[in-house]
Amino acid sequence: MNALLREARFLLGLKSAVAAMVALFALTAVAVSAGLVEVARQEAAIARIGPQQASDVAAVTDWVSQGKDPGNAAYYTFHATSDPPSDLAFAAIGTRDVSPYVLRVRALGLEAQLYEGEIGNPEAALPGRFDFAFVLVYLAPLFVILLFHDLRSGEREAGRLRALEASVGAPSALWGARLTVRALGLFLALALPFFVGAFVAGTALWKVGAVLAVVLAYLAFWIVLCMVVARAARSSLANAMTLAAAWMTLTLIVPAIGHVAINSAIPLRQGMELGQTQRTAVHRAWDIPKSESMDAFFRTHPQWRNTAPLGEAFHWKWYFAFHQVGDELAGDLSRQYRQGVLERAAWSERLGLVTPGVATQLALHRLAATDPAAQIAYQDRIRAFHGELRRFYYPYLFEDRPFGRADFARAPEYRAAPAAGSWPVALLGGVVLMTALVGGIGFVRGRRVAS
Amino acid sequence: MSVILSVTRNELRHLVRSRVALTGLILVALLTFAAALTSNAYQADQAGLRERLQHAADQDFAAQPNRHPHRVVHFGHFAIRPASGLAAMDPGVEAYTGNMIFLEGHRQNSANFGDARQSSLLVRFGQLSPALVLQVIVPLLLVFIGAGMIAGERERGTLRQSLLAGISGGALLSGKALALGLAALAISTPAFGLLLWLGASGGARLSAVGLTTLGYVAYLAFWTLLIIAVSATANRSRSALIGLVGAWAFMVVLVPRVAPEAAAALAPLPTRVETDIAVQRDLRSMGDSHNPNDPYFAAFKQKTLKQYGVTRVEDLPVNYRGLLAIEGEKLTSSLFDRYADQAFGAMEAQGRVMDALAVVSPTVAIRRVSMTLAETDLFAYRRFLEQAEAYRYDLVQRLNRLQATAVTAADDAAKSKNAAAEARSRISADHWQAMPHFDPKRPSAADVVGRAVPALVALLLWLAAGAVFAARAGHRLNRSAA
Amino acid sequence: MKTVDGDKAIEIADLVVRYGDRAVIDHLALTVRAGEVYGLLGGNGAGKSTTLQAILGFVRPSAGRVRVVGRDPASEPAEVRRAIAYIPENVALYEHLTARENIDYFLRLAGLRPVADEINKAFGTVGLAEEAWERRVSGFSKGMRQKTAIALAVLRRASVLLLDEPTSGLDPGATADFNALVSRLRGEGAAILIVTHDLIGVADIADRIGFLERGRISDEMVAEGPERFDLRALHNRFSRARAA
Repeated sequence: MNALLREARFLLGLKSAVAAMVALFALTAVAVSAGLVEVARQEAAIARIGPQQASDVAAVTDWVSQGKDPGNAAYYTFHATSDPPSDLAFAAIGTRDVSPYVLRVRALGLEAQLYEGEIGNPEAALPGRFDFAFVLVYLAPLFVILLFHDLRSGEREAGRLRALEASVGAPSALWGARLTVRALGLFLALALPFFVGAFVAGTALWKVGAVLAVVLAYLAFWIVLCMVVARAARSSLANAMTLAAAWMTLTLIVPAIGHVAINSAIPLRQGMELGQTQRTAVHRAWDIPKSESMDAFFRTHPQWRNTAPLGEAFHWKWYFAFHQVGDELAGDLSRQYRQGVLERAAWSERLGLVTPGVATQLALHRLAATDPAAQIAYQDRIRAFHGELRRFYYPYLFEDRPFGRADFARAPEYRAAPAAGSWPVALLGGVVLMTALVGGIGFVRGRRVAS
Repeated sequence: MSVILSVTRNELRHLVRSRVALTGLILVALLTFAAALTSNAYQADQAGLRERLQHAADQDFAAQPNRHPHRVVHFGHFAIRPASGLAAMDPGVEAYTGNMIFLEGHRQNSANFGDARQSSLLVRFGQLSPALVLQVIVPLLLVFIGAGMIAGERERGTLRQSLLAGISGGALLSGKALALGLAALAISTPAFGLLLWLGASGGARLSAVGLTTLGYVAYLAFWTLLIIAVSATANRSRSALIGLVGAWAFMVVLVPRVAPEAAAALAPLPTRVETDIAVQRDLRSMGDSHNPNDPYFAAFKQKTLKQYGVTRVEDLPVNYRGLLAIEGEKLTSSLFDRYADQAFGAMEAQGRVMDALAVVSPTVAIRRVSMTLAETDLFAYRRFLEQAEAYRYDLVQRLNRLQATAVTAADDAAKSKNAAAEARSRISADHWQAMPHFDPKRPSAADVVGRAVPALVALLLWLAAGAVFAARAGHRLNRSAA
Repeated sequence: MKTVDGDKAIEIADLVVRYGDRAVIDHLALTVRAGEVYGLLGGNGAGKSTTLQAILGFVRPSAGRVRVVGRDPASEPAEVRRAIAYIPENVALYEHLTARENIDYFLRLAGLRPVADEINKAFGTVGLAEEAWERRVSGFSKGMRQKTAIALAVLRRASVLLLDEPTSGLDPGATADFNALVSRLRGEGAAILIVTHDLIGVADIADRIGFLERGRISDEMVAEGPERFDLRALHNRFSRARAA
C-alpha cells in the first residue's frame, strides 16, 4: 500500500503523465456528453411525435367515421412504432444514427414499409460517432501506449534502471506498483465520466458493472501487450513504434479487412430484390381472377374462408388479402435478408474473438442494444405489431362491420419495450483469452531470451 | 541539387537497410493494393447488379398487361442509383445511403437498403478503400518512418557532422523530405494506379482523375513536410514521434468525428415520420378531393368547367377524375419538394459546418475533395433523389393524363362495380412501353470541379503552411548548435 | 594541405559570449597559425565547447571578433565550415553505411565528387586497415572512427582541423598513431586546434598550450627544446586553473 501511494505521488509529479490522463478524462467527458445529447435528441423526437401522430389519427378518424368503411380506416390510418434508446445507448450510439428509431406502419403489405430509411445526413454518419465506445476502443489504447511504452526502457535510457532496482527490495514490487498506479489512473479517467453519464441516464447497475468489466479487460489487453513488447528490451522509441503499429493493425486494418471479407462472403442482394418481388406479387392481383388471390389467402387464413363471397364490385377485403399474399410471397427473401444481416453480425463477433478492439466495440453495443441484432429485434417487434393490426382490422373487413369513431380507440397500440441488452460473455471471454495468449507468448519468449 | 539528391539517396538506402521501416512500407503498399483491388471489384459488382436491377425494373414496368392508368400509378417504378465513376477510389457516403427508391403516386418513398444498415458494426471502423488508406493510414506510416529522420540524426550526432560538411539546413531538409515523399508515393502507387485505370477505362472523367491525384499528392506532401519539419525542430525523436502521432490523432481521427456532433447541434434534422405527418397535415389544409364541398377543389372544378366552356362535369370532353389526379399530384409533389428542400437545406448547413473544420484539419479538406470528385458526396446523392423525384412526377402525370384522355368518365365511375366497365377502363399495354426510362444525368464536369475547388484551395493552403514551416525549420537548422 | 594566406587560420579577439546574464566566454583572445598545433586546455565549464561553437558558427558572439581563414563564421557559416574539419570526441558516422560509403556521402554533402583512388590514398594516409574500408562502421572502434573522420578531412583539403578530446579513450598504441598523423598534417600546413583536458597527451604534440579559465586564456606556454614542455609546471598550472 505504501508503495502504491509513493508511486501515485511520483506519477502525479510527471507532467506528461498527468497531462495524458487529464486529456483522456476530458475526451471521455466530451464523448459521454455528446452521447447524452444525442440520446436526449432521440427521446425528444419520439416524444414530439406522440401528439403529432394523435392529431393525424384524429383527422383520419373525422373523415372515416362519416362513411364508417373499415377499409378506409385500415388503409388511411398509420400506426406509430418507436424504439427508444436504452439506458446505455449514450455510451454506444451504434446503428441508431443510420436506421430509423420511429416508424409508422399501415395494415397494408409490411415488406414495402419495413425497410423505410430515416432522413439522415450520410456525410455526418460517415466518420462514425464520437461516443464513449469510440474513445475506449480507439483512443484509450494510444494513452496506454503513451504511459507504458517506456515504463522500464525510459529508466534504462536515463541510466537510472540499475540504481533504481538496486534501491528497492524487490524490483517486481516496484514495477507492479508503477503499473497499477498508471492503469488505475487511466481506468479512472475513463470510468468517472462514464459514471456520471450512467447516473444521468439511469443505467441499470448490472450494465454499469458489465461496461466496467469490458473497460478493464480491454485496458488489460493493451497493458499486457505493452509489457510483452517492452520485454524484448529495446529502446523506448522502438517500443512506441511497435505498439503504434499494433494499434493501427488491431483497430483500423483488421476490422476494415474483416468488413470487406464478411460483406463479400455474405452478399445481401435480397434487399433490393425483395422490394421488386413484393411489388410485382401485389400488383399481379389486379390482373388475375380475384378468386386466385383469395384462395392463396385462405390457405394461410382458413378462419375467413366462410365469409361472404366476393362480388363483382371492389371490396377492401380482397385488397388487404392480396397485400398479405404479397408479403407471404416475399417471405423467403425477407427471411434470407434478416438471416444475412444477423449472420454478418455473427461473423464480426467471431472476428472479435481474436481482435480485442472489435470485441470491445461489439460488447458495448450489445450491452447498449444498439447493434444490428437490436435493429433486427426492433423490426421483429414491428412485424409482430403489424400482425396485431391485421388481426384487428380483418374482422371488420371480412365481416363487413362498420368502423366507427369508437373503433379507432380499440386499435392495438405499439408498446415500446426498451431493449434489454445482454451480457457479452463470449466477447468478453475473447478479450481475456487474447490477453492471456499475448501474455503467454511474451512469457515464453522472455524465458527463451533469458536462457 | 546534387547535394539534395545525395541526402535523398542516403536516406532511402537507410530505409531499405532498416528492416522495420521496409516491412512497414511493403505492408502498407500491399494494403493499398488490396484496397484498390477489392474496392474496384466491389464497385464493378455493384454497378452490374444495379444495372441489372434497373433493367429488370424497366422490363417489369413495360411488361404490364392492359391496365387502368391509375393502377400503373400504384404499380410504380424503381429508380436505382447508378454507380459513379470514381466510387472505387472513394465510396464516400455510398454505404450510408439507400440505392433504390420505389416510385409511386402520391408518395415519396425513401431510398432503401443502404449498406451501413445491413452491415455489421465493423463498417463503423471505416470502410477499406484506397481513400481510407491514403487519408488515414499512409500519413501514420509516414509519421513512424519520418519522425526520427532528422531528430534521430541529432541524437546520434551525424546531423552536426553533415552540417559541418557544408550542407545547408534547407538542402538537408529538402533531401530528407524528398526521400519521405518518394516513400509516400511508392506506397500509394496502387491507389494512383487505380485512379489512372478508372480514367483510362472511361468510367471517370479526366478532370476528376487529375484533380483527385493533385489533391492526394498535396495532402501527402503536406504530411511529408510537416513530419520533416517537426523532426528537424524536435530535440529527440521520441518527442517528435509523440507530437506527430498526437497531430495525426487530432487531425485525422478526432476532428472528422467531432464535426458531425457540432453540425447536428447547430442544424438538427426532422425525422421522416414527422415529415410524413406534416405533409399529410398540409395536404388536408390545402384541400380534400374526396370532399365535394371542399373550397379548393370546388374552385378547381369551376375553373375547369370554364376552361372547357361547359357547365357540368358530365359534359367535359375529358375524364374529370384524371384531371383531379393531375391536380392532386401537383399539390402533393410541391409539398414533397418543399420538405425535401428543407431537409437537404439543413444537411447542407451541417455540411458547411463540417467543412469549416478544414481550418484545423487538412483531412476534412481532402475528404471533401475526394468525395466530391468521386461523386459520392451528399450533393451527388441529393441529385439522384431529385432526379428520381422528377422522373416519378413526370411518369405519374403522364399516367394521369392518360386517365383523363384515354379512359371515359363513365367507365371510370362504374369500374369498381361493373366488370364490363372495368374491362373497358383498361388501356393498352403499348402505353407503358412508350414511357421514358429513368436515365439520371451526371452533373457537368465544370459543376463537379467547381464544388471541389474551395476544399482544394484549403488543401493547397495547408501545403503552403507546411512548406513555410519546413523552410523555417531548415533555416533554424543552420543556426542550431545541433 | 593548402596554406592560408596571412598565416592566421583562426583568429579570436575580445570574444564575449553571453547566455542570458552569464558571460560564458569573457574577452577571449586566441590565434592559431597554419602549420601549428594549438592545445586548448580547460576544466569542465571553462568554455571549451562554446569556443568551438563560435568557431563553427553555431553561436553568435555577443561582442568581439572571430575569423576563420579570414571569414566571420557567424555571417558566413557555410564558407567557414567548408575550410574546417571538426572531429568530435565521438565521431558520428552513419551506422548503416561502410567506411567508404560514409566518406563518399559526406564528400557529396560538401559538394565534392569522390574519386575511389583518392579515398584509398586517404585511408592509407590515416592508417585505416584495408580490411575495414568496405565494412559497415557499426562495428568500428573509436580509433577507427577517428581515422575515418580524419581521412574525410584530408579529402576535403580542410585547412583547419578542430579536434575535440581526440585521445580520450584511445589505447597507447592508437594514441601514438594519432600523434604521428597530427604531426604529418601539421607538416602539410594545416592549422590544428586540439581542445582537451588531457594534459599529458596534448603536451606530446602541441606547439603552444593555452589555459582556458572562466572564458578567457589565463596563461599560454610555448614548446621549447627537446623536452618541449615542463610537465610539472604544466600540471601545477592546470591544477591551479581547476581549483580556481
